Amino acid sequence: MLEIRGLHKTFNAGTPNEVRSLRGIDLSIPEGMFLVVIGSNGSGKSTLLNAVAGSFLPDKGSLHIAGRDVTRWPEHRRARLVGRVFQNPFSGTAPNLSIAQNLSLAARRGMRRGLGLAQGGEQRPDMLSRVRSLGMALEDRLDNAIGSLSGGQRQALTLLMATWLKPSLLLLDEHTAALDPRSAEQVMRITQQVVARDRLTTLMVTHSMQHAVTYGDRLVMMHRGQVIHDFEGAEKRRLRPADLLARFEEVRRADLLDESAADLLRRRYV
Amino acid sequence: MTLLVAAFTVGLILALLALGMLISFRIFAFPDLTAEGSLTLGAAVATVLIVHGQPPLLATAAACVAGSVAGMLTGLIHTRLKVNALLAGILMMTALYSINLDVMGRSNLPLTGHTTLMDYAASIGGLFSGGAETLQVLGRDLSWQDLSAFVMVLLLVSGVTALLAWFFRTHLGTAMLATGDNPQMVRALGVDDKTMMTLGLALSNGLVAMSGALLAQYQGFVDAGMGIGMLVWGLASVIIGETLVGSRRLAHLLIAAVLGSLLFRLLVAIALRWGLDPNDLKLVTAVFVLAALVLPGAIGRLRTRQAGGG
Repeated sequence: MLEIRGLHKTFNAGTPNEVRSLRGIDLSIPEGMFLVVIGSNGSGKSTLLNAVAGSFLPDKGSLHIAGRDVTRWPEHRRARLVGRVFQNPFSGTAPNLSIAQNLSLAARRGMRRGLGLAQGGEQRPDMLSRVRSLGMALEDRLDNAIGSLSGGQRQALTLLMATWLKPSLLLLDEHTAALDPRSAEQVMRITQQVVARDRLTTLMVTHSMQHAVTYGDRLVMMHRGQVIHDFEGAEKRRLRPADLLARFEEVRRADLLDESAADLLRRRYV
Repeated sequence: MTLLVAAFTVGLILALLALGMLISFRIFAFPDLTAEGSLTLGAAVATVLIVHGQPPLLATAAACVAGSVAGMLTGLIHTRLKVNALLAGILMMTALYSINLDVMGRSNLPLTGHTTLMDYAASIGGLFSGGAETLQVLGRDLSWQDLSAFVMVLLLVSGVTALLAWFFRTHLGTAMLATGDNPQMVRALGVDDKTMMTLGLALSNGLVAMSGALLAQYQGFVDAGMGIGMLVWGLASVIIGETLVGSRRLAHLLIAAVLGSLLFRLLVAIALRWGLDPNDLKLVTAVFVLAALVLPGAIGRLRTRQAGGG
């Protein structure tokens, strides 16, 4: 479903602020798989997700979604195939529009926007039942501005919008990181339900080790723009947060060794 | 009475300008200076076409199209060539000054002796007047000609406002509203935010140009400098309207812009009657808009400080 081959991205190339965010990523996610990506700050996990969403074009490499080469597609065109939930709960909805208006936009994701009425009466029962399924008592507030809702409610609605039309790929960018613990658990529960019900191919970025081991069929760990570990099947199911912590510690030690070796070389030869 | 009706007629004509400002400033938060040029462009195109014997309805429609093209170009300069919004508007406004002079052939062009939409209105009004020149309203004389122009403009502005209210309920209109609200979100839902902004600016400047076309036909001439200060005028109308209505719903904001323009024009007429020098009008308008922009925030901060202190 998602094929990433030799993906490279460097920001501010040729300047003192050059950052090599992605260094030759190869990743394949078959249809219906729930892949979790974990990594420390600056590991490139969010950059990878943004590259897949089309927020920027890669320097090298290719991206295929549902058999189509989308490498050069702009973000809005990729949205035909991709549903996305952002880290910031305020990024996924239009605050001054009502819940119903936001949902009506999602109901035509990737389709032509013509002069038909956006909130035709026939859509209303569907909206009501889907919003009711979130269990957040929002079904009586369809005409309220979405900006009046809490972060958790907005994030749950963003998830509903991203999956209103079944996407070929669902991207979740640390989508519970900015929520309070209770809302985060509620949104993760809804995520699990929706992904399982629609058998969605999903790529979720998280910094929560607990979420990384609890959710998904497969887990990849990133470091310095590369995939350094890939756990699947029984190996993934056996993982505990402590195991991940140990892997991070290994990486950190290797980094420190790298730095001290570089320091030694600098002192001796430069 | 004639003065009052004339003030309201101009207020209604400039309500189209306010509606255009509402779209660029409030929906897209785009400070579009193109409006100062597209108002004159609309007036110039309509006037020249009428002078060359074209029907006034066609001339007004052509003015709208010309304004839309100007707005679209500003949108393209900003979204595709990545030029700062303010600068894109300034560039287009400056270019339009020369273009308007080219269209007009000189800096001032009269419509005397040519049939305009106001003459159409007067002819229709004549059917109801029974040959009388004036009628009595609240004990005062009002000419049928002024009343006819007012009614025609009222119907036109009502129609445009209703059309806009309908448009912003369609899939395209909702996508446009959402683009102004959160461009990142609309891209994620498959909407090209750059195209939406370009279309929005085209719509906005089309309305502004229509306002210019009607103003030229009402006052009977076009002048190369008639757009100067109109941006602040439109913004003042939007702000007054918002204060009057106190709602953020789009349909209410559209009506608010029209009411704001009417009230603002009335205030101007009263101020001029009380002896305000017409040369100071733009200064007073600018100070008013500045106060309207700054005061709500200042009052809010004062209240917060008082609440904190108490």
